Amino acid sequence: MQRTEKVLQLRGLQGRSVRVVREHYLRPDVPCRSALCQAACPRDGKLLSDDVTHYVVPDWKIVQDYLEILEFPELKGIIFMQTACQAVQHQRGRRQYNKLRNLVKDARHDCILFANEFQQYCYLPRERGESMEKWQTRSIYNAAVWYYNHCLGQLPVVMVTEDEDAIREYGGETEGVFVILFKNYLDNFWPDLKAVHELYDSILQSRRERESESQENNGKEYPEHLPMEILEAGIKSGRYIQGVLNVNKHRAQMEAFVRLQGASGKETDLQSDILIHGTKARNRAIHGDVVAVELLLRHEWKGRTASLCENDTEEKAPGDTSSEPMPTGRVVGIIQKNWRDYVVTFPSKEESQSQGKNAQKILVTPWDYRIPKIRISTQQAEALQDCRVIVRIDSWESTSVYPNGHFVRVLGRIGDLEGETAVILVENGISVAPFSEAQTCEMPSSTSENPWKVNPEEELKRTDLRNTHLVFSIDPKGCEDVDDALSIRTLANGNLELGVHIADVTHFVAVNSYTDIEARARATTCYLADRRYDMLPSILSADLCSLLSRVERYAVSVMWELDKNSYEILRVWYNRTIIQSSYKLVYEVAQGLLDGDLSVVDDILELKELDERTRQQKLEELVWAIGKLTDIARHVRAKRDSCGALELEGVEVRVQLDDKKNIHDLIPKQPLEVHETVAECMILANHWVAKMIWENFPHQALLRQHPPPRQEFFSELRECASAKGFSIDTRSNKALADSLSKADDPLDPTVNKLLRSMATQAMSNALYFSTGSCPEEEFHHYGLALDKYTHFTSPIRRYADIVVHRLLMAATLKDTEVDVTVNLFSNKDLEELCRHINNRNRAAQHAQKQSTELFQCMYFKDKVPETEERCTADGVIYSIRTNGVLVFVPRYGIKGAAYLKNKEGLVISCQSDGSCVWKPGSLQRFQNRITSTTVAGESFTLSLFDHITVKVSVQSSRCHPDTIKLEIISNIPYKNTATELYQKNFHIMKTDLVKEVTRSAEEALLAQEKNRVEVIQEEHQEYCQTKGVSLYQLLEEIRDLALLDVSAGN
Amino acid sequence: MAGLELLSDEGYRVDGRRAGELRKVRARMGVFAQADGSAYLEQGNTKALAVVYGPHEMRGSRSKALHDRALVNCQYSMATFSTGERKRRPHGDRKSSEMTLHLKQTFEAAILTQLYPRSQIDIYVQILQADGGNYCACVNAATLATIDAGIPMRDYVCACSAGFIEDTPLADLNYVEEAAGGPQVALALLPKSDQIALLEMNSRLHEDHLEQVMEAASKACKDVYAVLDQVVRDHVHEVTTLLGE
Repeated sequence: MQRTEKVLQLRGLQGRSVRVVREHYLRPDVPCRSALCQAACPRDGKLLSDDVTHYVVPDWKIVQDYLEILEFPELKGIIFMQTACQAVQHQRGRRQYNKLRNLVKDARHDCILFANEFQQYCYLPRERGESMEKWQTRSIYNAAVWYYNHCLGQLPVVMVTEDEDAIREYGGETEGVFVILFKNYLDNFWPDLKAVHELYDSILQSRRERESESQENNGKEYPEHLPMEILEAGIKSGRYIQGVLNVNKHRAQMEAFVRLQGASGKETDLQSDILIHGTKARNRAIHGDVVAVELLLRHEWKGRTASLCENDTEEKAPGDTSSEPMPTGRVVGIIQKNWRDYVVTFPSKEESQSQGKNAQKILVTPWDYRIPKIRISTQQAEALQDCRVIVRIDSWESTSVYPNGHFVRVLGRIGDLEGETAVILVENGISVAPFSEAQTCEMPSSTSENPWKVNPEEELKRTDLRNTHLVFSIDPKGCEDVDDALSIRTLANGNLELGVHIADVTHFVAVNSYTDIEARARATTCYLADRRYDMLPSILSADLCSLLSRVERYAVSVMWELDKNSYEILRVWYNRTIIQSSYKLVYEVAQGLLDGDLSVVDDILELKELDERTRQQKLEELVWAIGKLTDIARHVRAKRDSCGALELEGVEVRVQLDDKKNIHDLIPKQPLEVHETVAECMILANHWVAKMIWENFPHQALLRQHPPPRQEFFSELRECASAKGFSIDTRSNKALADSLSKADDPLDPTVNKLLRSMATQAMSNALYFSTGSCPEEEFHHYGLALDKYTHFTSPIRRYADIVVHRLLMAATLKDTEVDVTVNLFSNKDLEELCRHINNRNRAAQHAQKQSTELFQCMYFKDKVPETEERCTADGVIYSIRTNGVLVFVPRYGIKGAAYLKNKEGLVISCQSDGSCVWKPGSLQRFQNRITSTTVAGESFTLSLFDHITVKVSVQSSRCHPDTIKLEIISNIPYKNTATELYQKNFHIMKTDLVKEVTRSAEEALLAQEKNRVEVIQEEHQEYCQTKGVSLYQLLEEIRDLALLDVSAGN
Repeated sequence: MAGLELLSDEGYRVDGRRAGELRKVRARMGVFAQADGSAYLEQGNTKALAVVYGPHEMRGSRSKALHDRALVNCQYSMATFSTGERKRRPHGDRKSSEMTLHLKQTFEAAILTQLYPRSQIDIYVQILQADGGNYCACVNAATLATIDAGIPMRDYVCACSAGFIEDTPLADLNYVEEAAGGPQVALALLPKSDQIALLEMNSRLHEDHLEQVMEAASKACKDVYAVLDQVVRDHVHEVTTLLGE
């Protein structure tokens, strides 16, 4: 080990000036990480490619201010010097630094970090009296020169800077190393990248503004934030409280809550969240920030508002607050900012004129209610009038009411289906870029002429189940990505062998390949109402990893040997296998076979071409297998129930129903028994795999936990149930399941449904976690009543399953000499990954929900509520507020608020025939009913679970998503012959809705096309253009076709 | 500045070392003529001075004398100027007393005390500059001083610390890394026989990682041994050339 040593004299400022001496070791063997390197640098890890025209070294100032531009994948061959990275770390904080680190780590970007300060010949000690900035620039230049010489001058190195002095000083010093302004660099080397230039201008402008503003510095709008040290000390001593800021969506101006975080809640006896009242007290914190809060004195505490309120209303009159005062505080500092990209809308023309002549700065309104308006400066305001655009927040000075930001890019037009969908995706941070060439290149090819075949080498390694086992899959109709299949057979000793076979995705997706990185980033397939965004390229998800019938596929199998009578599990083994599925069944068909209904046989394609005798024989085999499977599933289920498993519908399937009703629209509401059989087999497989990987990798296995819910969350549920005369016992999962199934009103099935969904809402979500970061008692899955659980059965659409597959494979190979742990994540990485996957899952769910809402709104948008029959529907009241009620409309699956008091202060009152009119009067709210009394003395009462008739309409809003508005038109249930029908065909209704909206979008497209044709004709007359189809049009048409295809596929 | 990056993705620590590398160790023996044995040792910026007296007759209370072996008497102190903030008193506080005890245990294990019954060996160590790994520097300096005094020992005692940061064991922590508060193991080893003279750990460390950390620490101790051995050889060479030509 060779070492050289340098002692570095630093002057650190820690309160007062202290002279700190730190060691600094230099070495000659810092790897340069370039593919061009001729010296013997180690070449592991990421390398800078050699097919660029030059390398670019950004100065520290560029890295600090223009990192967003450097993030463009078009810019290649970037060398980040360690000096620049450290400058970012010290001056821009952790968030920016992490962004930089992720960028360097990302294999898709062609950039590296060069540790110049540890390189013997690159390091320059800081001279006496030299300013930090000068030294940094000098170091970076020196390192760039070294790098140029190290690569023997094969490529020119360009250092980009903003510092004119540096250009003067170093510009001509070394041949081959150029120092130029960043602006010039972009102009000369990337003149075609328009997006880059726009972003550059936008950043530059906002920076200038900020500078000029900080010079003015008068009239502070907000108190200054306290410095970090004081905050940290304050949090430790308990004076301040740390937490995450959550802005109330419905009263974004006034109310925000801080959810306590970590240990700070322990010492203080605070049970609830802390209320932050008003924007002054919020002190520039934005939704999602980690903030430090100081509690106000007790007599200043305020209550939260229980009344319903629309977003557009300004500050309400005081005295509106009704509930108990709760702990109230004010923000004294922001510990971590969680700013992201925001979708905003420019004000319409009339509004912008009223804002005055100051056209440079424009206040834009974010799509998300919880985000304050953002001030941006741009000259393109006119052009961006009707578009949804993305902006980023740069800063929020204490002198300004609104934060400053800059414009990034345009998403689409307001009200356009594509544009609005893009908004949803961006707001949830879902990336939907098509798979890149590098990723698709990694995939094996499979075309109809040259189909993919089993590799003979693989064949030797794997257990062959092709001829020995009857494997079949059961899936919803029209399913493309079949990732699981089942098998059952009798062994020679009379025992049964149950097998669950899962597509072997990890065989095709190597660790850290481009596809793997992309899948990890996406983490899950995202289903929207009318389309889906796959996690893996479609060659895998729909073909090679789909266990279709009568083709050979790689699989990972879990097999159990079961006792022939008691179905006790005697033995289990896990294997990589080759299977050939015999049947691809549909749920309905499988159920038919189970019930002995032979009419469904005709639907089985695989049996069609056979002659009668073999057909009969095969059919018998299949029927026996399904019957046996069901039997086993019942048995396993019963065992789990006795351990206190929650009735599934209450938890997971209920949620899954929400998930699925758009994907597989045709699943009947009443689940078939076959559903349960398949689900049970999957749960069993997941459970056993969880056990296996946990035993083998006790501190780096990925499992899924479902923590028991907090009892206080159930209070609303209990209240509601007691209104109907039911009692709900929430003490344990079993008690809850039992009492929920008892709480069933024979006259009104929606009551039970509502209660169940309330119970689901009260529970926390199931989460992935790494076993190393959690004590064993917390592994428990509350909903399924299993001590260990994971996700293993859907590797095509969940990244967690891919990780579990790798763990399982490593576990099975553990006894052999091969070192299997190299490809696994360490506990820390896994923890990070779990957090990421959990976040992505949540985002995907939000996106799905918002997409459904978007479709609902688009459906109702063009209908005239007064005349359209379909806009009137039956609703159930499920919650009471001071000025209205929350209503669930079963026919459309809509939940929404209905007001009993409008803005003029009139209350609703009921005629004798049930119809409602607005009259002056007052409202009175009780525990589970609400009474409106008019001045004339008439009164009427609504209580929980009452059925009423509501009118559905859309409240459109320019800047925000449209919302569904409900209006009570009668207090008697809506009677319609169609209602019953709709109730039954709930899901079909749903499909219609999606279809109709898609169709109308298509019509809009057609209309546009028509316009275009007309234009062409006009042009023809005017300019004598060629009539007919131009290449551009042809391409456009293909694009349209592609769009139609997506929607038709659903 | 919330949390320095102690180990970068490229595998460098704050001062430019890699995970398993030691700081520069420099040492001199025989720095005082008055003492029986003395040594000065630098481990990076941690500087320690050790002197050894003895074996000699019991001083102070004779009742403490052990009839079958020598008593090892240690004192650890830190110069008032050794830390960032000036210390109030150089020794006698809780931390120093603990360190004294640790030193005593270490050297009782290493010195062949049974050769000198009813006598006493004094080891005084002072830290002149503290930059992490104070205990280790003291042990290493005291070893050299003991050798200089000609007191028979089983083997060199070499000490080195190891920490565990970002799932990687780091050898020979400096002050910045120590202050971060991660787990830290101090190991004193008799390198030839691989026997452990003292092992101390603070903060929590998962059982599964202990082995790795121990391995890193003992590897570091052996590296220290190589350096110390060279120092002793150089010293002996120097002395013999001066004495005997």
